[in-house]
Amino acid sequence: MAEIVAKINPTKAVNRSEALAPLWNWVGVLPFFIFIFVFLILPSTNLFVGAFQDRNGNFTLANVSVILDPYVLKSYSISLQISVITSVLGGVMGFFVAYAITIGKAPAWMRTILMSFSGLAANFGGVPLAFAFIATLGHTGFLTAILRNICFPAAGGSQTCPFDIYQAGFNLYSVTGLTLAYLYFQFPLMVLTITPALVGLKREWQEASENLGGSSAQYWWNVALPILWPSILGSAILLFASAFGAYATAQALTGGSIYLVTILIGQQIRGDVLNNPNEGYALALGMVVIMAVCIVGYSILQRRTVRWLKS
Amino acid sequence: MKEKKYNLWAIFWATLALLYFFVPLYGTFDFSLRMEKGRLSFLAYQSVLSDPNFLASFRYSAIMGIITVIISVLIFLPTIYWMYLRLPQARPIVEIITILPFIIPVIVYVFGLIRTFSGPPFQLTVTPFKTDILITAGYVMVSMPYMYRAIDIGMRSIDVRTLTEAAQSLGSNWIQILANVIVPNLRIAILSGALICFATVIGELILGDFLVRPALGPYMVEAGRDQAYQPAAMAMLAWGLTWICLGLLQYFSRGRASAQQLTGR
Amino acid sequence: MSKYVRSLLFGLIAMSFVLTACGTTATATQAPATTSVMPADTAAPAMPAATTAPAAMADWSKATSLADGGGMDALVAAAQKEGNLTVITLPRNWCDYGDMMDNFSKKYNIKIQDVNPDGGSADEVQAIKDNQQNKGPQAPDVIDVGPAYGPLASGQNPSGPNLLAPYKVATWDTIKGSKDDTGLYYIDYSGVLAFEVNTTVVKDVPKTWSDLMKPEYKGQIALPGDPRASNEAAQTVYAAAVNNGGTLDNIQPGLDFFKKLNAEGNLLPLIADSGPIAKGETPVSIHWNYLALADQQTLNGNPSIQVVYPTGTAWGGYYYQAISAFAPHPAAARLWEEYLYSDEGQNTLIKGFCTPARMADMLSRNVVPDAAKAALPPADMLASATIPNPSQLTTARAAVKAQWDSVVGLDIKSGQ
Repeated sequence: MAEIVAKINPTKAVNRSEALAPLWNWVGVLPFFIFIFVFLILPSTNLFVGAFQDRNGNFTLANVSVILDPYVLKSYSISLQISVITSVLGGVMGFFVAYAITIGKAPAWMRTILMSFSGLAANFGGVPLAFAFIATLGHTGFLTAILRNICFPAAGGSQTCPFDIYQAGFNLYSVTGLTLAYLYFQFPLMVLTITPALVGLKREWQEASENLGGSSAQYWWNVALPILWPSILGSAILLFASAFGAYATAQALTGGSIYLVTILIGQQIRGDVLNNPNEGYALALGMVVIMAVCIVGYSILQRRTVRWLKS
Repeated sequence: MKEKKYNLWAIFWATLALLYFFVPLYGTFDFSLRMEKGRLSFLAYQSVLSDPNFLASFRYSAIMGIITVIISVLIFLPTIYWMYLRLPQARPIVEIITILPFIIPVIVYVFGLIRTFSGPPFQLTVTPFKTDILITAGYVMVSMPYMYRAIDIGMRSIDVRTLTEAAQSLGSNWIQILANVIVPNLRIAILSGALICFATVIGELILGDFLVRPALGPYMVEAGRDQAYQPAAMAMLAWGLTWICLGLLQYFSRGRASAQQLTGR
Repeated sequence: MSKYVRSLLFGLIAMSFVLTACGTTATATQAPATTSVMPADTAAPAMPAATTAPAAMADWSKATSLADGGGMDALVAAAQKEGNLTVITLPRNWCDYGDMMDNFSKKYNIKIQDVNPDGGSADEVQAIKDNQQNKGPQAPDVIDVGPAYGPLASGQNPSGPNLLAPYKVATWDTIKGSKDDTGLYYIDYSGVLAFEVNTTVVKDVPKTWSDLMKPEYKGQIALPGDPRASNEAAQTVYAAAVNNGGTLDNIQPGLDFFKKLNAEGNLLPLIADSGPIAKGETPVSIHWNYLALADQQTLNGNPSIQVVYPTGTAWGGYYYQAISAFAPHPAAARLWEEYLYSDEGQNTLIKGFCTPARMADMLSRNVVPDAAKAALPPADMLASATIPNPSQLTTARAAVKAQWDSVVGLDIKSGQ
């Protein structure tokens, strides 16, 4: 009986020797926490402390109260919206691509290229990425030109060229364009992080499901997705944070006309015009708080989906 | 049981991904060929490669990338393993910590590194070697979200507890378990993390810039500043070289086929 | 250890060797250059030598002029002993700083590190602040900052700690323009705003600010940055204001001008860097004349660029030089300033199409080559160019910050 309880609730002490375990357990993660403290927390104290200081180092709440300004709230909202949209779209696309290169048995050469290129693409961003899209889909982009030149003879002897995307209303320098650019690094990130989980799906499970008469869709809905769900959530949070903290791509492509929080922070900390770094620190602190809340929510959600899984 | 040779749904998504990756790149490539007015030529590439500093910077960043991958794995793998086995309560804290590098602006972080470690007692910025230590720590931090998440998901997908108990019952110690049992099973996960980690270090700009180390990012910005065609050529070359390195990484971590049978796929 | 782990380690080590072998040939042929990628190895030997040279270094860090330290020869000797200079945020194509650094390096045998060549004035000030205890190559010795950052770095306005060291170069009296009385910061060069037009794409070149509104320029006009982050872009808005009924105290017409430009569809949100300009994506952009002229020279006809000085009120802008109070190489820093303000240095600035601070003096002594003189804008345009004072800049800045989003901001719900 004790063994069964131990298996279900492995961290609850079942006898006295295991009651000492919890404190000893924290020693194992001590190297990690020391490394983090020395190389992440210590250098970042300026951010956490500077948010509450003014230029001369005196304590003030003025910078933090900027967060309540309507245009700042609007910028947080825009950042959150873009992050959610790109992480959902990128997550779905990345999931299917990861499926293609693991279970889906796409040709081997495709798999190798996609896997290694995902590593490269997951880290794209900033001016090179923006320029790649400008050179492709901008007013003078090569793809725009190709599409514009697909012409058919029309009535009356003239030509009609129906594929001019800018005539049709497309604009690269908009939220649509920014989403396209963000997807370039979002979906490879999903591919890379969800592939280990897809590889871990045992073939026997699908065979068992088919033996019991289940269709492929039923297998996915009832067996595979519930197992994969915690990993999918984990990847989604990573994609979300990656988009939330992105700055250079939006700046390069839209020049600040899409007013993300990160662009606001950049204006204060790095800009040549406004110079109130403490306000920038306060805004960044706001981002940290939002992210922490999201992670807590994600952890609760995850614990519920993991409840019935071993470990 | 029906066993199709190729899955159309998979091929569709793989093709879409390939197109999405390479079409925008073609835009940059096409532009980089136009340095000479009126005709296509590799003049921009010649201009870039005539400077030996380009390859030297790439070499530096690549070596730093390898070191960063090794150190990241050494720190995060045992930590995540331990967390899975003994300490699930630490997860939320660790998750928040590992997501911080995305949110803390790198420029604030690098100035913090300089401020904390440039004065006594550390003085890590006076010699190139000590600054390398500092920048490696910075690189590990910047790629931490990716590496952590990759290993975390990999660890979730294998039955850590059973494997550990089985190995323990056969008399292995912790090091043997990690090296001989866990790592081979996490091959794909570690590879995923290593791929992004390496690419992150190669493309990293601000740390190398402010710590004055000869990394590829700062070199490309300086050499390409106010030029039009050379940055495109440099970008293509850097991506090409990085992709080759990633391919090599993938090749070396193939492992034997039987290593996969432990997890059944 | 398992075979897999062994083969992985072997592979990584092999890759390191291959990369090292590849690199040794490259390092062997590296010329000792003034690029920022050279590790400042000589900084290390300088450290143990500090015990024998503290007297010389301490002297120069307190010197406020050549006379204080014992004259030019003493300065050169002390600077050469330091052997290194760290500059920050100096792009090579900006006022031909590339040649300036190369010539200085060659003349005095001093290596130069250029930290963060693609940054802004805020980075420079922050770098001084955070490198106070750092004697390594990351700490800037001299800075070149925008007009708001001179008073900011010296703690005068807004009030704060002073990060600069006072120093008056030998040619101080011939410097015309804004300079601090005690020598904390001093103007180095100025320019005027101009249109940079890609004439391969645009056949009918705009000549005035109101020309920009014409429908033929739909989707073709771009700013050099975000006016809330880039000084150049903020000045563009200000210049538009003054040329559309506004004054130095009222930037509102400038904001209205760009709002209308955006509504007409003429304004692209994209930042006009050399990439998009060369591609033809931003055929009409507004830049400092020296940057536009440098672009024209670099692109060399591919595409062909025309620099147009718009009729109306010319808009001027300038930058400040200053020495860091915590400079790890104080003698080299002061030698750099002496060099920059010498005839040779000033002529290098002219070669980069900037109007140097001592222009009037140099013209009167006839030491400017004719070809260089011809490339600069007409002297009377520079003389009459409008330049705002610091308090006007502050007010204007606040207006831009508050309103720019309503000028070009994209709303997600608008479906854009």
